[in-house]
Amino acid sequence: MDFADAAFWVALMQIIGVNIVLSGDNAVVIALAARSLPPQQQKAAVMWGSGAAVIMRIVLTIIAVEMLKWPYLKLIGAVLLLWIAVKLLIPEDENEDGITASGSMAAAIKTILIADLVMSLDNVIAVAAAAKGSLTLLILGLAISIPLVIFGSTLLLKLMDRYPIIITVGAALLGWVAGEMAITDPLVKDWVNANAAWLHYAAPAAGALFVVLLGRTLAARASQEHKAVVDLASGDRQP
Amino acid sequence: MVKMLMPVDGSESAVSAVAHMINKLEWFKDGVEIHLLNVQNPMPYGNRVSSVLGHDKVKQYHHEEGLAALQPARAKLDAAGIKYVFHIGVGPAAETIVQYAREKGCDQIVMGTRGMGSTANLLLGSVATKVIHLADVPVLLLK
Repeated sequence: MDFADAAFWVALMQIIGVNIVLSGDNAVVIALAARSLPPQQQKAAVMWGSGAAVIMRIVLTIIAVEMLKWPYLKLIGAVLLLWIAVKLLIPEDENEDGITASGSMAAAIKTILIADLVMSLDNVIAVAAAAKGSLTLLILGLAISIPLVIFGSTLLLKLMDRYPIIITVGAALLGWVAGEMAITDPLVKDWVNANAAWLHYAAPAAGALFVVLLGRTLAARASQEHKAVVDLASGDRQP
Repeated sequence: MVKMLMPVDGSESAVSAVAHMINKLEWFKDGVEIHLLNVQNPMPYGNRVSSVLGHDKVKQYHHEEGLAALQPARAKLDAAGIKYVFHIGVGPAAETIVQYAREKGCDQIVMGTRGMGSTANLLLGSVATKVIHLADVPVLLLK
């Protein structure tokens, strides 16, 4: 795969799409965790948080490239990606409690580091899947995700406020690359190429379809449970 | 007394709708009870953000952003010395506006035609268009 190849540009587009979705959440977590700090500490928290995310991404990418050569791991990665993608489409559950960070610098950094680890891992799996073994693409993918993590939170939140469809498209894209990755696992690759070349289109399409249908169904079920509008300003002093 | 719901998003269109309404309050003989409502879009990325940060942090974010979006409209009403209450909801904009009006028994929805959202067509914003479709009370759109 090189610059003259159409497949290269398709894969690059996929990587950008994946990054917008899976780096955006990381950026937002860093920004929101830092918001509770005093202004003079906010910058430091964002800097440390983004720096850690970048380092984790680089390390995890190197590990991922090696590991994806082993049999089974692409299949496992594909299932993981499908799961990540479906969860993107399910709105947040009000009853579920996350880690509550207090206002201290240490607590904020801890929250950011946990988020960095989880979210970088997801991002690296997805980017590795989309890069299809090309080192150029992997490095490009990494390079694109870094500014998104550092500077992207406000931009990405605005973008998704305006065009919520981005998340659905992003989730479908994850399903697509999951399908692509599954059929290139060393375990099944030769069989697919010899007997079922049509799977090169059918598996990604099925992955995308699976994610959108399941995600939509679960989201619809979740929104049925949700009833009254919660007024966040109810505790404010009214004029 | 007419219970009036005025959804605002901090956009110019929303503020000018509020300003216009302030001048026309004498249309309503028995007075008006004004409810400002800002609807925040739910946090994207499913629960990936809230599962790490906790719902309180996400709520706090929506609350801060909501107050900021309400501010220009509130300033107009404060300057005119008109009483009002304000609310912040989270959800899909049009659906939440209509649902809120239904739940609180509002008699009328008054809003600008073009907010911050993406555009449905040349004349009407997408939220205004959807509110007209969904609402079961009269909707007054101000250009």
